[in-house]
Amino acid sequence: MSVAATFASPSSKAPSTASLAVMLLLPIALVNAVGFIIPVLNLARMSFNEALPGGGIGEALTLANWQSLVSDGFYLGLVVNSIGVSLLITLITLVLSYPIALYLHRSSGRWRTFLTVLVISPLLTSAVVRTYGWIAILSDQGPVVQTIAALGFTPPRLMFNLTGVIVGLSEILMPYMILALLAGFGRLDPRVEEAARTLGATPFRTFARVILPLTLPGIALGCLLCFVLSISSFITPKLMGGGRVFLLATEIYDQAIVTLNWPLAATLSMLVLIIFGAALGAYSRVLRAID
Amino acid sequence: MMHQKNFAAEASQGDPDAYLRLEGVSKTYGDFEAVRSLDLAIGKGELVALLGPSGCGKTTTLRMIAGLVPTSGGRITVGETDLTAVPPHGRDMGLVFQSYALFPHMTVARNVAFGLEMRSIPRGEIDRRVKEALAMVQLDKLAERRPRELSGGQQQRVALARALVVKPSILLLDEPLSNLDAKLRDEMRTQIRDIQQQVGITTVFVTHDQVEALSMCDRIVVMRNGRVEQIGTPVDVYERPATPFVASFVGRTIRLSGTANGDGAIDIGGDVIRSAAGLAPGPAEIMVRPHRIEVDWTGQAKTKDDVNRLSGVLCRITFVGDVIQYHVGIGDAEVIAEASTTGNQQLPAAGTPVTLSWRVEDTMAFGSGQ
Repeated sequence: MSVAATFASPSSKAPSTASLAVMLLLPIALVNAVGFIIPVLNLARMSFNEALPGGGIGEALTLANWQSLVSDGFYLGLVVNSIGVSLLITLITLVLSYPIALYLHRSSGRWRTFLTVLVISPLLTSAVVRTYGWIAILSDQGPVVQTIAALGFTPPRLMFNLTGVIVGLSEILMPYMILALLAGFGRLDPRVEEAARTLGATPFRTFARVILPLTLPGIALGCLLCFVLSISSFITPKLMGGGRVFLLATEIYDQAIVTLNWPLAATLSMLVLIIFGAALGAYSRVLRAID
Repeated sequence: MMHQKNFAAEASQGDPDAYLRLEGVSKTYGDFEAVRSLDLAIGKGELVALLGPSGCGKTTTLRMIAGLVPTSGGRITVGETDLTAVPPHGRDMGLVFQSYALFPHMTVARNVAFGLEMRSIPRGEIDRRVKEALAMVQLDKLAERRPRELSGGQQQRVALARALVVKPSILLLDEPLSNLDAKLRDEMRTQIRDIQQQVGITTVFVTHDQVEALSMCDRIVVMRNGRVEQIGTPVDVYERPATPFVASFVGRTIRLSGTANGDGAIDIGGDVIRSAAGLAPGPAEIMVRPHRIEVDWTGQAKTKDDVNRLSGVLCRITFVGDVIQYHVGIGDAEVIAEASTTGNQQLPAAGTPVTLSWRVEDTMAFGSGQ
């Protein structure tokens, strides 16, 4: 191989940039091809296969799966619902995470290290465990509902419905949002904020005119990440939705595992992939608009 | 190249004409005293430098004046107004940062317009004043550029225009020239001074560079460890330093230790040095500017009443182009005397006995207590 030759020949200089790039990218390209691209192509093909009763997959190509997606109001509702819920969760996560990220960005030394560990630590626990934690807190016998009842109000149902899913997912996604925001806060120089203050901007106007615009790249990145993670998560909606919340990810799971309709599950998966693509497109457009 | 100095604006402590006034201003961080009970009165239109090594409290003082750092004690007033508790956006001061701190997401014109927009000035007037300010710093052609497309010197001028366009009561400059290369620094020094004079704005200038302080400012406040060492005109601070620290920090000096004998003379290894300072008997230090020292190796130097003489041995000669440095050993110490170069010089060899001489009035003497 030419790669081996490059190293073997003592007279030759360092490998050219192009061949070095190929060498460095080859492993990830292989892993991606085997672990991602081939399965996705397989899924894409399967979405045009006929579903046979009892979990079989027909060889013949058909548009039936895609047609049922468009014609069946249930699936259309599912798409709208999933996107809407994911956007709402993303927004809540952003609002809750932004002040924390800003504070972390401004803190320094050991305090910053401690806080960063605190922010990341939930990621060391499985989402399943955290979901069960939320179930314990929000269920009818849990402390929140009991406290509201003890105060004499009619307690709302917080668990096994959409509220539970939104609360649980927002908390689970917060570490990702905070890390993404922090990564995007690079341009935020404290001197620039001070410049705005000395030029007569109140703290609020400094935020609106300087801090917020400068943190938009971080916001865009965090929102993309949380939207994608939210629309594709199924454990939390499954456990906290109590079978009443229907989202794309849970439906894919049901079709593939319960109904054994793999072609339809594949079609829904391709649909999610298309939504991802749209989100990515929106993200890059936002980035271009910012700069 | 010295600028015209505005000596008339010289305002001293308690001067009723003082415009910006700091009274007993201090700043402590835990046990650390960054600024200790600072008193300062600056006259209207004056350009005053806060000069000192890093960590002397000069930047902290500037940031307290701007309101970016709360004071731990004391009062800051401008005119009749007490600003001590006023937040930065209510102080009406223009601050130029060392890093310029331009808004990276705005064009040059929007950067300059920012302060005017915060003051709710009508659009038409904003446009006109932004244009004027950019013309003043010769950047009118770059109004639509982003800060990152500008050179350091251009960014610096945008920062200056942005601070001045709102017609602030005080202009604060935090090491504005330290990020520029040497040639540009000289140019900007002149330009900043010219603009400051033209606008007639009261200015506080923080720097660690004595050349900037000496060449640009009406008065210099030399600071060290959070305290004022001396306040005075550049000539005062250079010619009549109040402390050994000022003498060695502002301009270059040679330093020799000896013993004061109580009648105005200091004994240095047997040679008697006279100075105008009346020192109490005890250990003492003298300092002399290297270029005020004459080196004689012919043994024919005239003895005069107003000249101090010290004998030593030439160790080494360094040719620096404009000047020649004579390294002369005096006892255990080695000092440097400096002379301008001329076309054809006969230079002595190392080991030659030499006599150093300088005028009594150029002798800065300090007792051990200082």
